Amino acid sequence: MQENILEVNNLNMHYETISGEVAAVKDITFHVKKGESFGLVGESGCGKTSVAMSLVQLQADNAKISSGSIKLDGQELIGLSENELRSVRWDGISIVFQGAMNAWNPVIKIGEQIREAIREHYPNNTKLQNIEKIKELFEMVGLDESIIDRFPHELSGGMKQRAVIALALSCNPKLVIADEPTTALDVVIQDQILNEIKKVQDLLGLSLIYISHDIAVIAEMTERMAVMYAGRIVESGPTKDIFANPKHSYTRALLESTPSVVGDKVKLNSLDGEPPSLIDSIEGCSFAPRCPNKTISCNSSLKSELVEVSPEHFVDVCNAESLNT
Amino acid sequence: MAKYLFNRSLQMFFVFFIFLTSSYLLFNAMPGNAFQSLLLNPNLPPDAYEKTLALYGLDKPLLERLQLYIVNFFKGDFGYSYIYFPKSPVELIAERLPRTLMLFSIVNIFAFYTGFLVGKILAWRRGSKSETWITITSVFSYTVFYPWFALLMLYFFGLKLGWLPIGKFLYPEKWYDAPFDSDVIFVNMIWFTVIVTIIQFIAYVLTRNIESISIRRNIRFSSFILILIGSYFYWGTGEALVRRPYAADIAYHMILPVFTVTLLAFAGTALLTRTTMMEVLKEDYILTARAKGLSQKRIRDRHAARTALLPVVTSFIFTIVTIIDGSVLTEQIFSWPGMGQLILQAVLREDIPVAMATFSFLGIFALVAHFLADISYAYLDPRIRIKSQG
Amino acid sequence: MSNSEKEARKKIRRTAINKNWTLFKQSRLGIVGLGIVLFFAFLAILQPILFLSGVWNEAVYDPVVGYEPERVNLLVVECPQQYPTEKYAEPNDCPARGEVNKVLVFDPSVSVGDYYETSLQPAPPSSKHILGTDSLGRDIFSQLMEGSQVAFLLGLLSATVGVALSTVLGSIAAFFGGRVDAYLMRQSDLVLMLPFLPLLFIISAFVELKVWHLAVVLGILGGLGGSVITIKSAALQVKVKPFVDSARITGGSRMGILFSHILPNVAPLALLFMVFSVTGAIASESVLSFLGLLNIDMSWGLMIYLSQTDGYIFSGLKYWWLILPAGLSVTFLAGGFYLVGRGLDEVFNPRLRER
Repeated sequence: MQENILEVNNLNMHYETISGEVAAVKDITFHVKKGESFGLVGESGCGKTSVAMSLVQLQADNAKISSGSIKLDGQELIGLSENELRSVRWDGISIVFQGAMNAWNPVIKIGEQIREAIREHYPNNTKLQNIEKIKELFEMVGLDESIIDRFPHELSGGMKQRAVIALALSCNPKLVIADEPTTALDVVIQDQILNEIKKVQDLLGLSLIYISHDIAVIAEMTERMAVMYAGRIVESGPTKDIFANPKHSYTRALLESTPSVVGDKVKLNSLDGEPPSLIDSIEGCSFAPRCPNKTISCNSSLKSELVEVSPEHFVDVCNAESLNT
Repeated sequence: MAKYLFNRSLQMFFVFFIFLTSSYLLFNAMPGNAFQSLLLNPNLPPDAYEKTLALYGLDKPLLERLQLYIVNFFKGDFGYSYIYFPKSPVELIAERLPRTLMLFSIVNIFAFYTGFLVGKILAWRRGSKSETWITITSVFSYTVFYPWFALLMLYFFGLKLGWLPIGKFLYPEKWYDAPFDSDVIFVNMIWFTVIVTIIQFIAYVLTRNIESISIRRNIRFSSFILILIGSYFYWGTGEALVRRPYAADIAYHMILPVFTVTLLAFAGTALLTRTTMMEVLKEDYILTARAKGLSQKRIRDRHAARTALLPVVTSFIFTIVTIIDGSVLTEQIFSWPGMGQLILQAVLREDIPVAMATFSFLGIFALVAHFLADISYAYLDPRIRIKSQG
Repeated sequence: MSNSEKEARKKIRRTAINKNWTLFKQSRLGIVGLGIVLFFAFLAILQPILFLSGVWNEAVYDPVVGYEPERVNLLVVECPQQYPTEKYAEPNDCPARGEVNKVLVFDPSVSVGDYYETSLQPAPPSSKHILGTDSLGRDIFSQLMEGSQVAFLLGLLSATVGVALSTVLGSIAAFFGGRVDAYLMRQSDLVLMLPFLPLLFIISAFVELKVWHLAVVLGILGGLGGSVITIKSAALQVKVKPFVDSARITGGSRMGILFSHILPNVAPLALLFMVFSVTGAIASESVLSFLGLLNIDMSWGLMIYLSQTDGYIFSGLKYWWLILPAGLSVTFLAGGFYLVGRGLDEVFNPRLRER
C-alpha cells in the first residue's frame, strides 16, 4: 500500500515560444500523502499552474516536459499514451481549474456535462444512476438539484464554482487539484466554498493539492505546503512549521506582506522588483536579486538544492551558512 | 416576443413593398420591350405592333401601370407571361421550381455536410502538413473558375468518357409515351427526399436521451438501414413502381451537375467551419473536456463542432437564399430548365410579369430566410435566447 | 497633439507593424498567398516595362491589337468521313499540326497535297510567344499580364468601396441601435433579396460596364449586403467593452467615439473582409465576362469567353493555351488573396495562432 498518492521527482518543463525557450518548471520535487491536503503557493507566473497542468498531462501544445517523473499511486504518468492518459484523467486525478466560469460549455446543460464525464469512465451506468450520483454530489457542495437542467450562464459565479467542484468529484478521483478555485469570488462565497471543500475532503478521504497565491488560504486549508518562486520550489514542509519558522527569505517576505486580522496594526513590508524573466536561465539562487538578506555568496554558481532543516522541512539554498538568520 | 414578431413582420412588409415598386420601375426602364421582335417581321400588318402593346396594357403611362400591378399583385393576380402566353407566371414557377429545388437542395445538403466534416477535421489537425495542403486545395476549389470547370467536367465525363449525359434533365426518347409530366415525377422525388430526411431527423431527436453512446449509435444506424429498405419497397410497388424508370432517368441526369457543384461548394463551408472551430478550440471548456478524459472524437464533435455549428448554419440558410441566383449559371451550362433559366430569360426578353413574379418570389424567400436565420441563431445559442432582439 | 506625442505614436505604430509582420510570416498559408499575389503584381507591372523599354514591339505584343505576322506553310489535307484511318485515330486528330483542312482554304487554286501559306492562329507556344497566341494573333502572355492589371484594379477598387461602406454602416447600426439599426438591417435585406446575376444583366442593359463601373457596382452591392450584418455584430462586441462607456462618461461626442474607438477596433475584421472581397470580385468579373456582359478590352474572363465563342473549349487539350492560363490565373490570384486573408486572420486573432 503506497503511502504517497503522488510523487513528483525532478520535474522540468519549458514552453517553446517565438522568443526562445521559457523554463516554467525547474527541478520540482515533492510528494503528497494519502488523504492529506498539500498547498502550492507563489506569485502569479511562478509556475504553479504549469505544475498543475503537467500533473494531468494537459500542458499546452508548445509545452514540453523535458525530464522528471510523476507517479500517481505508483503509476508513472509521463510517457503514457493518450488513451492510457484518458482513463487516468478524472478517474485517478481531477482538476478544478482557475477561472471555473469558463470551464463550462455554454450551449450544453450542466447536468449533461457532468454526466458525460461519468459516462466516459463508467459506461455501464444507466441515466438514472448517473443523475442520482449527481444529486449526491450537489448535496455535498450545497447546490440545488434543479441546477442539473440549467445552462451555465443561468448560474452565478459561486454556483458555477461549486458545480465545478462537483464535476471534479464525479468520478471518485484519488487526487484532486484545486487551482485557485476561489480567486474570482467575493470573500463571503470564498469562505463558503473553502468550507465545502474541507467538508468534502473529510467525507470522502480525498487527497488534495491546493494551489493559490493567497497565503492565508493555504494556511487555513493545508497540512503540508511548498513555496514556489520563478519555477523552483524554494521551501517546503508542514504548513504549521513554515508559518512558525520560515527559513527562506522569500517565504518570510510573503508572510510579512500579508495583513493580519488579529494583533496590532503593523506596517506591511512589500518586496521591490519583479520575478525574473524565465527565458534566461538563472545561475545560483533565483531570488538573489530581490533578497533583502543577500550575502556575497548568494550569486555564486553553486547549484541550488533542497536542504532539510527540521523534520521534513526543506529549504532551497546555495550556501547553508546564510541560514543563520 | 410577440411584439418583436409584429414589428419585424411590419418591417418586412414595408421592405417588400419598396422592393416591388423599384423592381417594376427598373424593368420598365430597360430599353425596349418584349414585343420588339415583332417589328423585325417584314410581313407584319400595320398597327399590329401597337395593337399588341395595347392588348398587354403596355401603352398606358408608367405610373398607372405600376398602380395597377401593385393592386393586382395583392389581389393575387400576377398577369400572364408575355412570352409563354397564356401561361401565368405562377404556372411557370410551379413548373420550374421543383426542378431547381431538387437539384440544388441535394447539392446544398451534400456540400454542407461534406464541408462541415472536412472543416472539422481540418481544424482538429491544426499545424500538420496535411492540414496546410488540404486547406490550400480547398481554397482553390472554392475559387476555381466555375464555368470553365463545369465545362471541363461536361467534356470529360460526358463527351470523352460518355458515362454521363451532357445536360438536360431527361432523355426525351424515354419519355415519349410516359403517362406523366416531368413535374409530377419531380414533385414525387422531392416529397420522397423530404420525408426521408424528416424520418432520419426524428430518429436522431428521439435517441438523444439514451445514455449509452454505443447503443445510441446503433439505433441511429439501424434507422438509416430501415430507411434504405423502406425506400426499396416504396419504389418497388404500386404507383411508385410505374414512376421509377422516369425518376431514375432524372436522377441519372442529376449526377453530373450535383457532383460538379458540390465539389466547388463544399470548400466554402469547410473553410468557415475550420476558422470557427479553431477559435472554439482555444476556449477553456475544451481544456476541461480534455481533463475529463473524453475521447478526441467526442471533444471534437460534441463540444467544438457544436459551437462552430452556429455560424455555419447561418451561412447555410443564406446559401439557400442564393440557390436560385446561383442556379442561373449552372442551369445555363447544364441545360437544366429550372428557375434560374426562367429568370434569366424573363429579364433578357423583358417578360415583365414573369420577371416580377420571380423576383417577388426570391424577395420573399430572402426575407423569410433572414428571419429564420435570426431565430435559429437564438435557438442554437441559449445565451441569445434570453436577451431581447434589437 | 504635441510633437513628442506624434513621435511616440509613430514609433508605436512602427513597432506594431513590425510585430504584425513577424506574426504574419509565421503563417504558412499567408506567405504562400502573399507570394502568389506578388507574382501577379509583378506580371501586371512587367507589361508596361516591357513596352516602354522596347523589349517588346507594341505592334506585335499588344494584348488587344497586336498581331503576329508570322507565316507558315501548311499541308492541305482532306479529312475523311470515317474514323479511324491509318493516319488519324479520331475526328479530332484531323487536321493535325502543320496541316489544314481543304474545306477551310478559300483559294480554289490550291488542292490537296499542296502547301498553303497562311498565318497560324491560334499559334501554340513558341520562343517568340511564351504562351502562344489566340485566334486573332494576339500574344497570350501579354493578355495575361493585362488581365492581371485589370484584376488588381477591379479587385482592389471594389473591395475598398464595399468594405468602406459596410464598415461605416455596420458600425453606425451597432452604435446607434434602435431605429437606425432596424432601418439599416432592412436595407441590407433589400440588397440581399436581389438576385446577383439577373441584376447584373439588367444593369448591363442600361450601362456599358467598363472596369471602373463594374468595380463600383460590385463594391456597392457587396458593401450594402450581408457584410453589414457581420460588421455590426463585431462592432456590437466592441461597444459593450468598458472603455467605450468611459469614453462616453468623460464627455466624448457620439461621432467622436464612433471614429476613434469603435472603427479602429473593427478595422482588422474590415481588412479581412476587404481581402476576401477581392477574391469575390475577381471571380465575379471572370464569370460576367464569360457571359459576355462586360465591355472590357481585355481580361482573363474575356480570354475564356473568346475561346468559347471561337469554339475551342471542347477541343480538349489541343488548344490548351487558350483556356488554361487564364482559368488558372483567376483561380490562383483569387485564392492567393484568400490565403493572405487567412494569414492576416492569424495576426489579428491571437486565438488562431499556433504559438
